[in-house]
Order: sequence, then structure tokens, then C-alpha cells
Amino acid sequence: MLGFQVILNGLVLGCLYACIAAGFSLVWGVLNVINLMHGSFIVLGSYLAWGAYNTLGFGPWTTLLIAAPLFFTLGYAVQRGILNRVIAAPVLVTLTLTFGLDLMLNNAMLVAFKADYRRMILDPPLGTWSWGELVVPVDRVIAMLFALLLTLALYLILRRSRIGRAIVAVRLDREAARLMGVDVPSIYATAFGFGAAMAGCAGVLLAMIFPISPISSGTYLGKAFVVCVLGGLGSVPGAVVGGLFLGLVESLGALAFGPEHAVTLSFTLLIVFLIVRPHGLLGKRGFE
Amino acid sequence: MSAAAPLLDVRGLEAGYGEITVLWGIDLSLRAGEITALVGSNGAGKSTLMRTLSGLITPTAGSVEWEGRALQGADPKDILTAGIAHVPEGRRLFSAMNVEDNLLMGAYTRRVPQAVLARDLERVYTIFPKLHERRTQAAGTMSGGEQQMCAIGRGLMSAPRLLMIDELSLGLSPLLVEQLVEALKVLNQEGLAILVVEQDVVTALELSTSAYVMDMGRIVQSGVSADLMRDPAIRRAYLGALAE
Repeated sequence: MLGFQVILNGLVLGCLYACIAAGFSLVWGVLNVINLMHGSFIVLGSYLAWGAYNTLGFGPWTTLLIAAPLFFTLGYAVQRGILNRVIAAPVLVTLTLTFGLDLMLNNAMLVAFKADYRRMILDPPLGTWSWGELVVPVDRVIAMLFALLLTLALYLILRRSRIGRAIVAVRLDREAARLMGVDVPSIYATAFGFGAAMAGCAGVLLAMIFPISPISSGTYLGKAFVVCVLGGLGSVPGAVVGGLFLGLVESLGALAFGPEHAVTLSFTLLIVFLIVRPHGLLGKRGFE
Repeated sequence: MSAAAPLLDVRGLEAGYGEITVLWGIDLSLRAGEITALVGSNGAGKSTLMRTLSGLITPTAGSVEWEGRALQGADPKDILTAGIAHVPEGRRLFSAMNVEDNLLMGAYTRRVPQAVLARDLERVYTIFPKLHERRTQAAGTMSGGEQQMCAIGRGLMSAPRLLMIDELSLGLSPLLVEQLVEALKVLNQEGLAILVVEQDVVTALELSTSAYVMDMGRIVQSGVSADLMRDPAIRRAYLGALAE
């Protein structure tokens, strides 16, 4: 029974990791920008959920509807106004730029919200479902389902919509996409917008489970990194596979070696993958 | 030769990459509904000319008139919407996307009802039935000939009036080239103007009504294709052993 419980926890964690990483992976894959603000966007999303619940009484599922367009706009504006100016520069330049922007955003959050951990405590609580010895907190299940739903939505947008096709086209062959009449800077901004929207929404969901603090941004960013490397860069299925894999490894590893080693385990995995299979589980070799 | 105004009129076009000028004053004019060939050795500037005409490269001098409207310096999107589609060298399909998505990318700039797109897809599938068979297959996994069909189909999906094809036959079997040539002739009879860059001078001159010969970034000869075919200098330079 303990085994089932651990696997279930791993799946919940895994779906959230997939949601965290999908947007990060999209931006990295399409724009070749490693967005170091991703973690702070997630935390900002958590604060949004917390604030909306405490002041307006909105449940996190309602807040998702606000967070998605809000963070999309924020991401679009950041890309259009700032990142597009240096997009052609080597990756170190965009990395440094997002690092700087992240410092500003993270410190602004420290000033605004302090470093104290906050919790969004739903009242009445959602309780738990139990099934024999198996105990499932309802908030976790809801967060997991929404995370899956969001990831699926991103996947469908990329595969089925006109704008999604253009994003994929730009990723595959930028010049050929220009020949098709695609406005590349605008597609970059749109992709960055989707990445930010995924981060913001993931933050809203994480607020249901985890305490909120600007300090967590580094942890989330680290997870996104590991998931991208495990699953393979630039594809939504890669993020899902990588996310579930990491979630399961962390919770099974915590059972085997103790919870304090979960992070050690995930970064050991990162190093092993970088050496043995740098293109990830689903990524294709030589697929830029 | 009709006296009608040309569809595309290029005068003194100069372009290149950074500091390097590749095209030195190109004059060229295409008429509606005609197939024109552009021949010349490797490095003559044929691809650069096409890339300049489709807006990937911004010209440094000269003019491009499309039905009397200035197009030099316009971006690829405006040139595509004006009616010029470019099938680039090496086909440049979106390899991981399936065939149908590639074709739909060709229609990216067209804001038309779904039914119109469906009809145009159907038309491409009628011209190249192989593409219909492979429509859910990733474009990069197809044979060279099928990829060229897909690239031409993608070009057609923008509903162009001029289709520019760079290296039609490169890497394809003679049988496939023949099929593609037949398809292009049918499209041409339906009113599509075609500018084709082709290494195989015989194929190019047989397919086209008129032709331009490029060398070192300049047009060195032009005229009716049938006349060029008989020209001893052309035969010596490009047809090698065939010249007696």
C-alpha cells in the first residue's frame, strides 16, 4: 500500500512538473532563450492566486482564467519590448538579460511580499479521499488535473491551431517560416507569452499545495531545467514524460533514501542524462 | 511576343550578403502565364536572385515592379501576399511536421474560410496524389521527389500568380523530374507564371518559353528558349558533349 501511495504522490508531483517545464521548454526550444525568469513567473502566479483568494474570494480554478491572459500579456510585452532586441545575440547575452530581469522581478517580490512563507488556506478545506489505506488529498488531485489540462491545451494549440503551427515552423526552420509570410518577432513574442502563461498558471496550481515565497523561484527553475533535460527539449510530450519521470524518481527516491535526498537525486539524474543521453528521453539527436 | 506589360519587371537589381555584392545589375522581365527559366553555373547568383525577389535579402539598388507596383525592399510576407511564392533550394520543408501541416503553412498569410483552404488542399492532392497518401506522415521522412512535390504544393497553397522554384530537379530521378515538369505545365496552362532555376539546361529550356543565362551575378544572355537551345555558345558552355 505504501508503494501505491508513493507512486500516486509521484504522479501528482510529475504532472505539476510537466506543467512547470512545458512553457520553459517551449521558450528554450523555439527562441533558444533560457528564460531564467520562469521560476519567478511561477511564484508571481502563486501570489496572484493567494491575493485573489484572500481579497476577492476567487478559488484557484477561477484565478487560472485571469492568470492565463495576464501572464501571456506580460510575457508578450517582455519579449517584444526587451528580449527581441537581443534575440540574434549569442545565447549568453539573452541568458544574462533574463538573469538580470529575474533579479529585478524576484527582489520586487521580496519587497512587496517579504520573504515570509505564505499559504493559501482554502476554507472550507477540500479534505481528502481515502480508499482503504490509500489517502489522497483532494487539492492535490485537482491541481494535478488542471496541470494536465493546461499542458494538453498547450499541446493542442501547438499542433492544431494556425498560430501554433507557425510557432513550430519557426522552431524548425526560421527562414522557411519567413518565406511562408510568418512575422518571426511576433511569433517569438507569442511563444514567450505562452511560456509565461504556463508559468503563471502553474504557480496558481502550486499555491494550492506548497507555501509561497520568492525564494522558491530557484527551486522551480531547477525542476524545469531537469525536466527539459530528462524529457528532451522543445516538445510538450517531452515535458510530460520528463515531468512524470522526475516526479516518480523523486517520490520513490524519497522512500528509499529519505526525503532529504530527493533534490540530490534529481540533480544526479540530470548529470547522468547529460553524460549518457543529452537529447533526453523523447528528444531527437541533432534536432536543434 | 505580346506587347502586354510584364508581370514582374526587374531593373538594375543589386544585392548581396553584408559587404559582398552578388548581383550586379540584374534586368529581367516575366510575363503573365509564361514559364521562364534561369540557368547558369554554380555560384552564378541564381539563388541569390530568387532570395532577393522573395524578400529574404533586401536589395541595395535597382527596382522590382510587380504589375506596376514597386516591390523592392518589401518583406517576404508582403511579397507573398502580392502573389509571388518561392520554393527554396533544398525544399526547406518543416521536417517534423506532417505533409498537410506543411501545406497549410503555405497558406499561412491567407485569411480565407476553411472551405477555401480545404478546396485548395484538394487541388494540391489532385496534382500530386502521392501527397494525399502521405498527408499524415512527417515531411522529413519522405523521398526527395515527394518532398519536392510537397514544397511545390506548399508554394501553391498561397494561391500565387508567380511560382519561383529553385533547383527543381536536384537529386531527383529523371522519371520524377518528368512528372514534376508535366505537373508544372498543367499549372502553367491554368494561368500560373513560373520562374524556374534549373541545373539541367536541356530540361530548363524545353520546359520554358524564354530563358535567362546568368554568370558571375549578371544576366549574360536571354531570349526565347528554343533559340537559346540552338545557340552554339550555350551548347558549348552547358551541354558539353552534345555540342558538335
